[in-house]
Amino acid sequence: MADPIKLVLYVAGETPKSLAAIRNLERICAEHLAGKYKVEVIDLKKQPQLAREHGIVAIPTLVKELPVPIRKIIGDLSDTPKVLVHLAVEGS
Amino acid sequence: MSSVAALSRAELEARLEEAEDTLRAIRDGEIDALVVKGRDAEQVFTLEGGGQSYRTFMEAMDVGAAAFDQDGQLLYANQALCALLGESSTSLTGAALIGLLDAVNQATFRRLLTQALHERRSAEIHLRAGGADRSILLTGTPLEFGVVRGVAITFTDMSEREQAAAAHESERLARAILASANEAVIVCDRAGRVTHLNGAALRICSESPIGKSFADAVELTFAEASDLMSGDDIVTLATSGMPVQGLEAAVRSSSAVTDVLISAAPLMVSGERTQGCVVTLINLSHRKAAERHQALLMGELDHRVKNTLTMVMAICARTAAHERNIEDFQKAFSGRIQALAATHTLLSNASWQNLKIGDVLGAELAPYATQSSGRITTEGLDVAVDPKTAVSLGLVFHELTTNAVKYGALSVPGGKISVRRLGTADGGALLIEWQEREGPLVTSPSSSGFGQTLISRSLGSGGATLEFLPTGVVCKISIPRYGNLQA
Repeated sequence: MADPIKLVLYVAGETPKSLAAIRNLERICAEHLAGKYKVEVIDLKKQPQLAREHGIVAIPTLVKELPVPIRKIIGDLSDTPKVLVHLAVEGS
Repeated sequence: MSSVAALSRAELEARLEEAEDTLRAIRDGEIDALVVKGRDAEQVFTLEGGGQSYRTFMEAMDVGAAAFDQDGQLLYANQALCALLGESSTSLTGAALIGLLDAVNQATFRRLLTQALHERRSAEIHLRAGGADRSILLTGTPLEFGVVRGVAITFTDMSEREQAAAAHESERLARAILASANEAVIVCDRAGRVTHLNGAALRICSESPIGKSFADAVELTFAEASDLMSGDDIVTLATSGMPVQGLEAAVRSSSAVTDVLISAAPLMVSGERTQGCVVTLINLSHRKAAERHQALLMGELDHRVKNTLTMVMAICARTAAHERNIEDFQKAFSGRIQALAATHTLLSNASWQNLKIGDVLGAELAPYATQSSGRITTEGLDVAVDPKTAVSLGLVFHELTTNAVKYGALSVPGGKISVRRLGTADGGALLIEWQEREGPLVTSPSSSGFGQTLISRSLGSGGATLEFLPTGVVCKISIPRYGNLQA
């Protein structure tokens, strides 16, 4: 069995786009990545220093940590096909 | 050499792509926060503009309020809305909110969300929340959250207003009912102090009863437990949830003592807890008077029946002792019983009250002559007597009439009888004289019959004397005034 896709979602408290990104990611994971992902949500409002690890500038940003290569998807994840392309799971 | 120079081409391309992507996202409004590296540490700046201030403002509102983005997703709901919908701030999600609505109200809600993106709109929805059916007025206005467009919606609970209006109307109705009740109604609070009372209650209460304890406001005495129970005991029982029904008591007011039937019930305004009690006092004066009158009548009837039976027994025994054969007995006995019956009929017709001497005489003479025929004259007999005297007089007049029919003035066509009042004797007794004239020559009887005995003994301390004058019988009847005369 392949390693799970490890994702880190960076949000800023409960801004509208942060809430939308969480909602969209939940939906995408449920519909396309069932059982194959691991998600960590990091609130940079509470822990801004964690932005450094992945060099986060804009929020919300989703980082695909595994499998490598690391990829960043910036925005509220409302464009599902684009998200799937970046996660390289389209058609999988 | 700079750090960039050390990067491979592929890495540089990846960085460039990320930089372009970030710019595009900012330009397209896909992000609403930025991380800025400060002197010491990273800081996060949101692009909501006044975003945080709208939350602060909504939280300060008394009415329910929520913010939705342009996709209709719930961004924020204030505490007033959570309380209104019976949800916690964590459980109230967009899905939970929609879940409270049926299909029709969902459609109304979604339509408002769409329309309010452009202009202020209102709509009414109905839902069940917090254990109650609610009518909620929604008012939606466009709201900009920095880069995001959305809608702010206020939720005004119309049912509270409707309930307040209904409660106001209900209180008016309750006051009208209280004021209109015939019975005295007194409302006490949990401490047993009078808070409301109607006009009927005001008439039997002490002055200014509002605020006083029930026992101070109403002076009650209980017939069956005068020392053991007070008005406050009843109020305490009722306020603790135990109704009290139908206790008889007397209320002393400044003007009179009134018999009342007192009941008390717990006052339940809402929920399980009693707010006090409602005491009703039904005026029993008329009923008590009727009961006393009825008891008096029953006693009187019992007494009279016994007296009458005793009298019938005595008449029977005496008649039997004086008559020679069964035919004579039957005739004399029947006549006397009929006399008794005639007087009873008169008494009954007059409800045993105000029977006059002239009426008693008329009843006995009726079979033989009318007072208008000229043979009988009366004078001064318009005097009322009590029932006992009437019965005795009836028997006396019967004996005199029977005697007159058999031997005296009524035994011949021209005979006459006058009955008149002579006046009053010493001691206040009323004197009546029966005088026969123009009848056959009278001689004294050789022996004294029962009729004669009855006449002389009938009127107790009064009595009658018979004289057998040659011109006709003269009987002087003395009626004791005290206790027997009613006029």
